[in-house]
Amino acid sequence: MMLLLEIKEKAKEFYYKNKIYMDPVWKFVMALAVFLTINEQLGYNEKLTSLPIALALSFISAFTGAGAFVFLAGVLTVGQVFSASALMAGIVAIVFLIMYCLILRFTPKFSYTLVLTPILFVLKIPYCVPLLMGVISAPPAILPVSCGIITYYMFLTIQTTANSTFGVSMEDALNIYKIVASGVFSNREMLVNLLVFAVALLVTYIIRRQVFNHAFETGIIAGAIVIIVGSLIGSMVFDTGGILYVVIGTLISALLSVSVWFFRMGLDYTAVERIQFEDDDYYYYVKAVPKLSVTAPEKNVKRINPKSPGKALKEEFEED
Amino acid sequence: MAGKEDGNVLDEKKIRIMTRLALSEEKYGKENFNISRYYRSDYIRYSLLKTVLSVTVGYILILGMAALYHAEYLIANAVKLDYKEMGLYVLGIYLALLIVYSGITVVIAAVKYARASRFEKKYGNVLGILRKLYENGVEPKREGLEK
Repeated sequence: MMLLLEIKEKAKEFYYKNKIYMDPVWKFVMALAVFLTINEQLGYNEKLTSLPIALALSFISAFTGAGAFVFLAGVLTVGQVFSASALMAGIVAIVFLIMYCLILRFTPKFSYTLVLTPILFVLKIPYCVPLLMGVISAPPAILPVSCGIITYYMFLTIQTTANSTFGVSMEDALNIYKIVASGVFSNREMLVNLLVFAVALLVTYIIRRQVFNHAFETGIIAGAIVIIVGSLIGSMVFDTGGILYVVIGTLISALLSVSVWFFRMGLDYTAVERIQFEDDDYYYYVKAVPKLSVTAPEKNVKRINPKSPGKALKEEFEED
Repeated sequence: MAGKEDGNVLDEKKIRIMTRLALSEEKYGKENFNISRYYRSDYIRYSLLKTVLSVTVGYILILGMAALYHAEYLIANAVKLDYKEMGLYVLGIYLALLIVYSGITVVIAAVKYARASRFEKKYGNVLGILRKLYENGVEPKREGLEK
């Protein structure tokens, strides 16, 4: 535990000192992972799937806010789907617009969950989302998380529908639309996940707010139990299956969530700031460095001839 | 503390206050100053207007998608449908949505406005301290330099 705390302090110190470089690098890596996953899952357009495009989009995302990143991910998705079917791209765009108008506009801080939830589904660890959001945010985050779940199942339906061949008549267009819509909204697995994620997020949030030792870890464990039990009940009632995958995914997600929370704890985002201002006489370029209480030991004492404590004590008394 | 005392032209106290101001302006200033440009009632009304617009657009899109999904049924029963009942149903849901969203918007906008006002007040206080420092400090220093 001590070693972990030291690693955490070192990591925090490193972050404080290098925030100006760390933030864009971290955002770039995350954005690249997201864009590459979108390209891998929905790579219908060769030009959009090329690496330079993903790199360029990630570069833009590294220096802009979460809103721009989510927008770019949405545009890339619609662009990819457009190459498979213009009608399906239209459906995706309208669904995104509805999500924006009715949900994301009111929860802009959590808009990134719309993008990250489907990506974590692809990586088989979607359960990180309710556990982490329960720890770091509040119940309104249920809404953008639900949007992320719907987006993932919409892509699954699009992937299966895009492989089928349809004509170009109005009737065919209507058929495609009906297949996608019913494929998404009558998907029992999606309904179970919507419910389970919401309850898990709520339980994690309520428990971590309690005043007792290890409330955060308990919250994450309770959330994980809700996910496993909820999915089990869901799979029995709706016969959705895949419970082993849920159990393993939840355990990995819980571990990841605990480690993310551990490193985030106490990280109040005060870091080295560089600011400029002026008065009548001078221009000031100020580097403001926050005061830190670093507990990690700077010295490392290594005994060459270790003595047993009893022997050392005896020798000490003899010297006296 | 002030560097001026030992003949240094830079005034540490002033720099510290200006740094505090610049930091808080950079971190929280943009949003808070944008909000406190408005009167309270204007800001709440403006937020409400944006909410009504986005809820209306979102609801129309949902209605359009639902209508398209049931297009075959709607066309087949175009003559038999009870349009009055359907209209009331659609309008009822729209009004319910509007009431819920508007209520939440008013509460959030009021909280945000109160926060922005507090920020502006604190910012103003620190700015006042800086002004006093200038009134008492800068002019003599300049005279001293000119001499």
